[in-house]
Amino acid sequence: MKFREIVRFEFIYQVRRPWPWLFVIVLLVLDFLMTRDGSVSEVLYSEFFLNSPFGIAKTTVFGSLLWLVLAAPIAGDAAARDVTTGMYPLIYTTPVSKAEYLGGRFVAALVLNLLILLAVQAGILLGVYLPGVDAELIGPFRPAAFVTAYAYIALPNAFAATTIQFFVAARTGRAMGAYFGSFLIIFMGFFVASFLLFKQGLGTLLDPIGIRFVVEDIAHLWTPIEKNRRLIGLEGIVLTNRLLWVSIGLAGLAVTYLSFGFAHRTGSASWSRMRQLFTPFRGATAKAYAPVPAVLGAIADTPVYVPKVERRFGFTTNIHQMLTVAWASFGSIVTSWAGLFMLAFIPLLAIPVVLDQMESNGVPLVPTTIRVISELTAPLADELSRWVIIPFLIVFFAGELVWREREARMGEITDAMPGSDWASFLGKFMGLALLLVVFLTLQIGAGMLAQVMMDYYDFQIGLYLKIMFGLQLTDYLLFTLLALVVHVVVDHKYIGHLVAIIAFVFIALASLFGVEHNLLIYGASPGWSYTGMRGFGSSLLPWLWFKGYWAAWALLLAVAARLLWVRGRESSFRVRLQLARRRLTRHTAWTAGVAAGLILILGSYIFYNTNVLNDYHTASETKERAAAYELRYARYADTPQPRLAATKLHIEIYPERRTVEIRGTYHLVNRSDVDIDSIHVATVPGVETQALRFNRPVAHVLTDEKLFHRIYTLDKPLQPGDSLQLAFQVLVKPHGFHENGVDASVAANGTYFTNSWLPAIGYQKSRELLHAPDRREHGLAPRPVIASLYDLKAIEDKGTGGGTLETVVGTASDQVAVAPGALRRTWTTGPSSGPGQVRRYFHYATAGSAGGEWGFFSANYVVHKVQWKNPDSSGQTVDIQIFHNPQHTAHLDRLVRSIRTSLDYYSREFGPYPRGYLSVVEGAGNGTGMHAEGGMLTYAEGFALWNLNDTQDSFDFPSAVVAHEMAHQWTVPYANVEGAPVMSESLAWYYAIKAVEHTRGSEELQRLLNFLRVSQIRPEIRRGEPLLRGLDPYMSYRKGPFALYTLSEYLGEERVNGALRSLVEKHRKGEAPLATTLDLYRELKAVTPDTLQYLLHDLFEVNTYWELKTDGATAKQTGTGSWEVTLALQARKVVADSAGVEKEVPMNDWVEIGISEQGKDSDKPLYRQKRRIRSGKQTILVTVPYKPDLIDLDPRQLLIEQKTDDNRKEIKL
Amino acid sequence: MTLEISNISKSYSNGRSTEVVQALKNVSLSIPNGMYGLLGPNGAGKSTLMRILATLQEPDEGSIRLGDPSAGPVIDVLKQKDEVRQTLGYLPQEFGVYPKARAEDLLDYFAILKGITQRKARKEVVEALLRQTNLWDVRRQRLGGFSGGMRQRFGVAVALLGNPKLMIVDEPTAGLDPAERVRFLNLLSELGENSVVILSTHIVEDVSELCTRMAIINKGEILLEAEPLKAIDGLQSHIWRRIVEKSALSQLEREYRIISTKLLSGRTVVHIYSEEDPGNGFEPVAPDLEDVYFSTMAGHIGTHKPVVAL
Repeated sequence: MKFREIVRFEFIYQVRRPWPWLFVIVLLVLDFLMTRDGSVSEVLYSEFFLNSPFGIAKTTVFGSLLWLVLAAPIAGDAAARDVTTGMYPLIYTTPVSKAEYLGGRFVAALVLNLLILLAVQAGILLGVYLPGVDAELIGPFRPAAFVTAYAYIALPNAFAATTIQFFVAARTGRAMGAYFGSFLIIFMGFFVASFLLFKQGLGTLLDPIGIRFVVEDIAHLWTPIEKNRRLIGLEGIVLTNRLLWVSIGLAGLAVTYLSFGFAHRTGSASWSRMRQLFTPFRGATAKAYAPVPAVLGAIADTPVYVPKVERRFGFTTNIHQMLTVAWASFGSIVTSWAGLFMLAFIPLLAIPVVLDQMESNGVPLVPTTIRVISELTAPLADELSRWVIIPFLIVFFAGELVWREREARMGEITDAMPGSDWASFLGKFMGLALLLVVFLTLQIGAGMLAQVMMDYYDFQIGLYLKIMFGLQLTDYLLFTLLALVVHVVVDHKYIGHLVAIIAFVFIALASLFGVEHNLLIYGASPGWSYTGMRGFGSSLLPWLWFKGYWAAWALLLAVAARLLWVRGRESSFRVRLQLARRRLTRHTAWTAGVAAGLILILGSYIFYNTNVLNDYHTASETKERAAAYELRYARYADTPQPRLAATKLHIEIYPERRTVEIRGTYHLVNRSDVDIDSIHVATVPGVETQALRFNRPVAHVLTDEKLFHRIYTLDKPLQPGDSLQLAFQVLVKPHGFHENGVDASVAANGTYFTNSWLPAIGYQKSRELLHAPDRREHGLAPRPVIASLYDLKAIEDKGTGGGTLETVVGTASDQVAVAPGALRRTWTTGPSSGPGQVRRYFHYATAGSAGGEWGFFSANYVVHKVQWKNPDSSGQTVDIQIFHNPQHTAHLDRLVRSIRTSLDYYSREFGPYPRGYLSVVEGAGNGTGMHAEGGMLTYAEGFALWNLNDTQDSFDFPSAVVAHEMAHQWTVPYANVEGAPVMSESLAWYYAIKAVEHTRGSEELQRLLNFLRVSQIRPEIRRGEPLLRGLDPYMSYRKGPFALYTLSEYLGEERVNGALRSLVEKHRKGEAPLATTLDLYRELKAVTPDTLQYLLHDLFEVNTYWELKTDGATAKQTGTGSWEVTLALQARKVVADSAGVEKEVPMNDWVEIGISEQGKDSDKPLYRQKRRIRSGKQTILVTVPYKPDLIDLDPRQLLIEQKTDDNRKEIKL
Repeated sequence: MTLEISNISKSYSNGRSTEVVQALKNVSLSIPNGMYGLLGPNGAGKSTLMRILATLQEPDEGSIRLGDPSAGPVIDVLKQKDEVRQTLGYLPQEFGVYPKARAEDLLDYFAILKGITQRKARKEVVEALLRQTNLWDVRRQRLGGFSGGMRQRFGVAVALLGNPKLMIVDEPTAGLDPAERVRFLNLLSELGENSVVILSTHIVEDVSELCTRMAIINKGEILLEAEPLKAIDGLQSHIWRRIVEKSALSQLEREYRIISTKLLSGRTVVHIYSEEDPGNGFEPVAPDLEDVYFSTMAGHIGTHKPVVAL
């Protein structure tokens, strides 16, 4: 009865407050926007219905996250209101039991929270069913989708979170404690679960919100069809996760109950007790004893002696006051739990995070300072970064500081003190600034400590200081000021938090609200970048302009806060405005004027740069232009165009001026069998394409400067086989900066650009819109991502690019320029003395086709030259030139070794290396990737910074990557149809696997295979198209190479290699047709014996999954001393279609059976042979010479199986 | 130094309803140096007036000036807030402290806010005030552990910082034990020698013992402005007393203008206001300030008709 009454009273009390309703409205609106806007779904994978179960689940997760940061006061108020209001002595002394009191309050808060969370589902419903949605995007209405999302995601989240919030609030006696509870949960979800524990699979388990198991796991695992149809089920890890968090919630309740007492609250007694655990040096903070006055009774003649001292007022005193407030504010945060959390816990945890992140693909990286810093920093607006906790903490602390005096009930005393309002406002700001400075200092310490722990001592303190205190701190400070201003202006703590967090959501997801330009998003700016080669390059200047602009806004906001600062009792907005008018002194007005002036000046300058000097397009404008391009020019897609046969370029790179001038000539040949009467030239946005000239008379029909398309008609048609020349000039130079910063391609050091700046011939299909809803919106017919494997026309389409390339490239005298091809000669020009620049020139020419993408580089490279001689009798030599950053040399030997062994193996197995040269170029960038084009490998700086320790059993991933990229030199020209990535990547990885096996041995091979299995780009799922039509990274980088490897184990390596060699021979010749997976399949079929044709079919033509299980195995010794093993097993084979629908097919396949001895090397099993295994249960007899111990079906995982752990069993005697 | 309050009115809207509560109605007072008592029941508008004087609230209308026109510029309290604050000492009716702060540190903090920027001077002042308020021995202790009285004394120390010329103390004696109360009132009256000290209270003794002038306020209106002694004088022979059984009280209430009743050893002492002898067992009694207060509240004296010559 009492319990019910407590629940009822609490519920009604809170429902009558404004904030539950505000939470409902905010959740409703934001979830509506999230549903409507595709932005989140675009971040994820492909399209699905707005109301697909997955879409609903995903929005529910984000809604829960928002709820978590917004709605903490519900639980907080329920738990702590009696203490904060001082009502508790009245309540605690009533005959209510602890269980009724706490339980009632908790249940009321939980019920309220659950009702508030219904707003998420309501928001989604409105988002789907209010008018304005493309009907194609709405699937059938399924209440179950909403119910499951609510029941499995929102409900357990709310339960666990409410208990934790309730616990902290009840414990501290402060409603704000609940926010701290929310922080702990977010911290768990974003920081701990996602980064520290993800690898161990614990991440998904420990994630309290669902970010991992919905947004990461399911988004990657489910097929689009599954996402549209399948309901979130309580099974597997999701079930465990939910159970775990419900139990954590229950445990939280129990702890709350046990630790709570109807007792007098002496300030922070229980906390002091806890605090003593951490800070014993402070000593006990026992209750002060009341000193007995020296003389009891009244003494009328006590002299009042207060020394008269000089008091000063004015600016310097205000400064003094401001610093005092700053120091006191800082002190109050530092001594709070949340402060301890921020200054001790987070930096301490940052150390293992950094240690954990200093590797890529299982191989450690050199912990360079920039790499460590990139783990310690994140743009403020990155809502999915682990540092998202910092803006939340800033909002929290801002609220605490603004309300500090009033919550301690000292507001009236403080407010009646002399001194300007700006002193206290800025004082609080500086207190928070100091906190952030200390935090970032500790973060630097954590970073350096992590470096020391990895034996790295090149700290680059200057870089730490520049980035942490120059760049990151600025971001934080701008937001800090905003958070303070919001709290001052709103003047209601909970609503202040709400508004500040909405402000953050706006900053982070501005595009959700239709705002994109950095001039319109508080604190936003183009990003900065730093690499060892380029330094900050030109990325800082636009950054500075934007931050200056926002700093001016911040100043204006500070003035607003100073004017609206609540001092005293008057909190009605009307009176505050009146007071503001009175506070608008000359100085304040001047400050506001200066701020407004700066906003105008800086804003105009920025606008001039971003929108006048450069083109600015919103995302939708960009899409519109793409659509317009297609609508207007797609009709020319099939118009025959001449193809590039040869290109001559003269490139002048001026690194200091960030300018590139290109003069070029295309030699174009009509390879079609009809006359060509018009030439279409696609120019490039952002560069100046000038002086297009043909060497035969043409009429200029059209120049579309908006869509970058030009049409020329030839006075005399170009006959088949005939050729013409097109000369052009391209000028690339900086014009101020763009809305998103500066194109970093041309840098003082580390220039890199490609032929994407050069005009292209013909209609550019790559400029079309791809995303189906976008195409629908712009009235374009749907188009497949890529042409069908069976589209004969597409297979024959060789495009208009290619051909040979000859380049003369000039650059600054201290740099080396690189272009595709062999270096013919190099020279310098210019005066040896006197004015003018000395320039260096390089002349490169390709042998045969230069491939599709041409890379051009210029930097202060050191060139490492080696030569490879073909070990066969051909006498072929290849000049290998490695252009590398002078500081990066550690990787060279490994790189050269891997290139040599690759050349050895591939030349022997698959045919000669087609060129006499190979260039390997290091490009600016922190990535660890490598890329191959014809005759050229390029890698980012990070690739040079692997931290390999050459012990016997460490995995040399970089060498495998080099082998893979080298294998691309044997990639045959393939058609741009389904299966294209299989033709390039799968084959290259198969080559690499074999190269590693032959040059590094079987142990390294096992390490490589294990790595590929463990780091599945997407875990294996029964889905999608068969390998022949494979497109996605899983198909091309994992399934394809494994299928070929399995074949090589079943058919024998010689046969598979022979088939591939034949493929190379047939398609590498200039005018040979482009290859497809069907050609590959044909070659493989030709070498496969009839008995194994089924396997080829299962691997390539359909999606096959084998399911093998050892039921049991027994062994007994025979009379001859050998052992007979009886193996009971079951098997099944399933084929999944592209929608993931499964069908069992009869199986009678060869499967390896492995039997091994205890403690023996698994490499040398007692028995390993392929046996026919059919569908269903069966028994197999095997005889082995020694006592067997373990049996394993398909021990080398040659067949595609999802659950392999039931294949192994110990053999019973 | 004089504080001139003219025609101050202030009303609040009462929560959600549109009903307006008139907290102060056309209040005008002239307050010279010395202790000035503002006496009134709870909810009379004392605290509102005090907060307006302490620059923390805005009146709807009226003006307040502080200063001596003959001796320098006069401060417009409502507009020149910072000038007022520089010379203000304010002890609110109710206040808290930062529980984790130490008395000495927090007082030092406030000293800076009060413009005592020199470290040495500040140290001196803080020590003097802590000794004055008998908190010196606990100066290194956390305020969270202070008793109500200690906290109150700490508030006094804060208010006394910077030798205020205008001291506003709102119901200051509530939490003090008798000895502390006397000590505190003495402190105030000494301060009153050179400053305007306004003491709001609902305890008549606080005023009668110390204040040279006083005002009685109820429901936002000043009912009486007077010097306590003269006000008492004015009631000579108007106050009558009778001790009755509790049961007889209701009968008396109908017949006489009772201004107060008090229990005394189980019987009831009744004071009535009557300009002539009521007879019926009533005996004359020498009036005290309490009688002035109750007579004023009951409407027998005051309300725009000063009973004594000013």
